[in-house]
Amino acid sequence: MIGSVRAELLRLTRWPVTWVVTGVWLALNVMFGYVFDLLGYRDAVSSGDRRLAAELLAQISPAGVPATMTQGLPLFGGALVLVLAAVSTGNGYGWNTWKTVFTQGPPRLAAFGGTMAALAVVLVGIVVLSLVVDLAASAVVMTAESQALTWPTIGELAEGVGGALLIAGMWAAAGAMLGIVAKGPALSAGLGLIWVLVVENLLRGVSGLLGALEPVTDYLPGTAAGSLAAAIGGVTGSESGGAPGVVTILTGPSAATLLTGYAVVFMLVAGFLMARRDA
Amino acid sequence: MDTAVEVRELVIRRGGREVLHGISAQIQRGVITGLLGPSGSGKTTMMRAIVGVQVVRSGRVTVLGRPAGSPALRRTIGYLTQSPSVYADLTVRENVRYFASLYGIASDDADQTIRDVGLADQARQLVGTLSGGQHSRASLACALVSRPELLVLDEPTVGQDPVLRDELWKRFRQLADDGATLLVSSHVMDEANRCDRLLLIREGEIIADDTPAAVKAAAGTDDLDQAFLTLVRNRTEEGS
Repeated sequence: MIGSVRAELLRLTRWPVTWVVTGVWLALNVMFGYVFDLLGYRDAVSSGDRRLAAELLAQISPAGVPATMTQGLPLFGGALVLVLAAVSTGNGYGWNTWKTVFTQGPPRLAAFGGTMAALAVVLVGIVVLSLVVDLAASAVVMTAESQALTWPTIGELAEGVGGALLIAGMWAAAGAMLGIVAKGPALSAGLGLIWVLVVENLLRGVSGLLGALEPVTDYLPGTAAGSLAAAIGGVTGSESGGAPGVVTILTGPSAATLLTGYAVVFMLVAGFLMARRDA
Repeated sequence: MDTAVEVRELVIRRGGREVLHGISAQIQRGVITGLLGPSGSGKTTMMRAIVGVQVVRSGRVTVLGRPAGSPALRRTIGYLTQSPSVYADLTVRENVRYFASLYGIASDDADQTIRDVGLADQARQLVGTLSGGQHSRASLACALVSRPELLVLDEPTVGQDPVLRDELWKRFRQLADDGATLLVSSHVMDEANRCDRLLLIREGEIIADDTPAAVKAAAGTDDLDQAFLTLVRNRTEEGS
């Protein structure tokens, strides 16, 4: 499997899609996490709204980085990671390369394991890069505003990185599964995006009308991701400076358990289909 | 001479119809065997059965002493599919190094393979921007990079210019001289003269299994195109 991991890492790191997704995610993170909050903070200061100014400053502060980094993942970050994973597995069918790998390469499950391990390495890279960029952006903004720098504790950082990896990992597993189910990149990425950005929100809206749907919508992948982000300190979409997709439906431990369960199920289905179906 | 591939009474159905009708053949080790026949005669299906990706209805395919498709055969077979199987959004070098990494082969060997197929000048070019012939050669490099014992090449010279086709055949000859077994399909009869042995296939049946000289002698002509037509005619007369 080591050969597969090495090969897939080579593919993912040389692949323009990986860098485009990483760049877009970092840009969105800085834009929505710091630029807009900074503008809102200045507005609040000039209009004398001290409460709002204090809330926004807390979000911009380095101590708020674990929450800020995580709160963008349930919706936009998750969608980007899902597309990356769907394209990475789906492309092998689209370009016929899985056929060659399955014929003369390692066993199918080793090839699948190599792809998932390489995706995991890329996700760790994206999360660590987000952390570094967010800390730097926060420090620059706070210094420019002549505010004291309050750093997060190691425990808070670990919680933020762990939560971000769990949310991104679950969406990546979903994307990888869709790429294999659809045997191509376009349909899988499209279906995944519709689910993440539209279907879950619609279902949550409908559950407000039909109470019977609530037990289902409370345990959807996006709900679990949003709940974990909220448990880490993310601000819900209905509040000032909050992020869409962040919800307070499940407790942190329940959300983390559910996310792990979804990731495992998605990978089992993906591995089974890859091993059993024709390339 | 050793047998690399043995096909015995192979029957295959694809798309609801029988494509191969109980064919039997042997492919000898260390030689170039040409699998020739018109489009739709069953060449690709037979190759798929040999590399182990085709469901077999009945019969047996043995490759290097093991049943076709055995996991142990994976590293010993190189398969070039008819449509190129490379990532169009990676460069030639990145594609070949990707497959080299799968087999634990050094980057230098991957670069040598790129030179072998005449793509040294295009190594840094995205595969999606290559011409059709260059695209096929990029795919060929990926099949060759593991230095397999058995190379199954489905129409590797289609779309190549005559100079390059000549170079590729010299390369195939070199590989055979070094001990590799090559099964090369083509529907171009003039390429048959470059093979050590020929399997002529038509409508899912082997109509000749011999050396090019013997095939021509049996048909009483020096022209392989003509020989193929004569053998088809003789077979039709035998059947009627």
